[in-house]
Amino acid sequence: MRAALLRAQLETALGERASSPFTDVDKRVWECVPSGIPTLDAAIGGLPRGAIVEIFGAPSSGRTSLALTILSTLIQQGEVCALVDGTDAFDPESGAAAGIDMRRLLWVRCRNLDQVLRSADLLLQGGGFGAVALDLSDLPQQAVRGVPLAVWFRFQRVLENTPTVLLLIGRESAAKSAASVVLRANLREAAWNGMSAVSHALLLTQTHLDVEVLRIRHSRCRFPKVHHDVRLHSCS
Amino acid sequence: MFACIHVPDSRAAAAAHAALLDIASAFSPRVEDTAVGTAVLDIAGLDRLFGSTAELGQRLQEYASALGTTIHVGIASNPDAAVCTARGYPGITILERKTEAARLKDLDVALLPLDPETHATLSRWGIRTFGALAKLPAKELSVRLGQQGVHLNRLARGNASRPLRPRKDSQHFEEVMELDDAIETLEPLTFILNRLCDILFLRLRSRGLAALELHLKLKRERPHEPFIVPLRLPVPARNPRVITRLFMLSLEARPPGAAVCEVRLEAIPSKPRVIQNGLFVPLAPEPEQLELTLARIAGIVGKNNVGSPELANVHARDRFEVQHFGTNFGSIERRPHGALRMFRPPLEATVRMIENVPSWVGFSGMHGDIAAASGPWQSSGEWWKDRQWTREEWDVAVGNVLLRIYRDSRTKRWYAEGIYD
Repeated sequence: MRAALLRAQLETALGERASSPFTDVDKRVWECVPSGIPTLDAAIGGLPRGAIVEIFGAPSSGRTSLALTILSTLIQQGEVCALVDGTDAFDPESGAAAGIDMRRLLWVRCRNLDQVLRSADLLLQGGGFGAVALDLSDLPQQAVRGVPLAVWFRFQRVLENTPTVLLLIGRESAAKSAASVVLRANLREAAWNGMSAVSHALLLTQTHLDVEVLRIRHSRCRFPKVHHDVRLHSCS
Repeated sequence: MFACIHVPDSRAAAAAHAALLDIASAFSPRVEDTAVGTAVLDIAGLDRLFGSTAELGQRLQEYASALGTTIHVGIASNPDAAVCTARGYPGITILERKTEAARLKDLDVALLPLDPETHATLSRWGIRTFGALAKLPAKELSVRLGQQGVHLNRLARGNASRPLRPRKDSQHFEEVMELDDAIETLEPLTFILNRLCDILFLRLRSRGLAALELHLKLKRERPHEPFIVPLRLPVPARNPRVITRLFMLSLEARPPGAAVCEVRLEAIPSKPRVIQNGLFVPLAPEPEQLELTLARIAGIVGKNNVGSPELANVHARDRFEVQHFGTNFGSIERRPHGALRMFRPPLEATVRMIENVPSWVGFSGMHGDIAAASGPWQSSGEWWKDRQWTREEWDVAVGNVLLRIYRDSRTKRWYAEGIYD
């Protein structure tokens, strides 16, 4: 009882500097791929292959931008990726602007959660993808919460010993303990360029994001929170 | 030396004849299309490739076993003796030179190419075996039966001599199965397709080919015009199981709509794909497996909802086409960029303006004061078409949410197009 109390006190004290200081790091040697976000890679050492990586956050928190950056980075390395789009919300122009070669991106436009899970299952079973991203963001949260945890653990089992990263994008964490990496995105600030008095002289140029590392299994977390800037429009 | 492959079951022989010829062609370039269910091949010089004559016979039988029916193999010094051996003895039978007459003597004369009149004559004489016919003097036979009698006598002795008549190589790959009872459900069709695909791909493999395009033609009871299911593959395929599954997925999405009484499967051949994987090149999905996965996903989300997005070359927003996801990849430069999540279709919005700048927006259960706005960004296009568009876009911040809204300049209505995320 005393040890548990001490542990809780230490966790509270270290909470700002290290996430899950007493969590055992998996002894397995993980092959990691860069996320394309240098600060995040420095914090967590890249994204582990054969594992579930979850990014969640509120609307405009930057979770989709982060996911597209990761997909773009993998595609730049010559991999083939898939995006299972829960509500047909993907904007191909944003994808192209993020540097995604569309010929290497398989886009599955779904209308409900059932289609998402069945398509994801087929893609993971088929294999050969560097990353499979499931966008659950705009799906009814009640339905996403209702997905049994066994589904995510089954996906995790399928992924094991494969080079695929399963990327979950959502409003809140869905895979829970089945995920190896859980990241929460927050919009810190939107940067408007120009004089604020005249709207057409303003340009939404950037968003500044905070990415919080909530869980990491494949290595020690060096920084629990990282910053990332995302360009939206440029004047040129 | 010559080898003959013979299918004793006359019903199976008709169905497997084309495959039989292709199997023979896989061993020798000189193949004779002797009769339905019978093919003769010249095996002279093949010992360096396949070993002894016995080993070659074994290989022929093993290869032909994929047809799923019994095969007889006869090997002799001349084509006719090989044919008689294959028709008369089961399994693999090899006749050494000078032993043909002794080995063939017990066979029934009905195995010889006799017309009914000659057969009746021989029966009347009491000639029932090869041996009995071989003993008859050739000159006397010539007097009574003409040149045919002499030829039959030589066949019975196993020393008939004629050149092989090699067939002209055909590049037509088609398998047909007529059904005694028309089938109405898709499940039995799976077994038939499996069978046809097996034989068709065996034929293709025996020529060192693969299939790039296939056409399944189903003859229906009513209406009579055939139901055609085309299947075009991104890469040449050699796996019959994948093709069967792809056809079945296609039929499940678009059933024939009537009972099927004939199944016809045609393949357009192509050279097989040869790839050398690099040690450090990332793996991509295996093309055949990928096709199957795509077909299955198309069955879940619809054919037009799975593929690669291709942006249209227009200034209008949200114009793209979903192309078939292939394996023809390339690369482009890397540009980190923010993402817009689309509302597809755009959500109609209510916007209040103060001094021509949006100050409040509400749509689909979400509303709030606009803290910052950027715009208007005016654009228009396709005025020469029915779907001309003209609009002014705004990027706005509502609390912590960044939105793109626009006003349709023709209808004067506001829409929320997406969220920056």
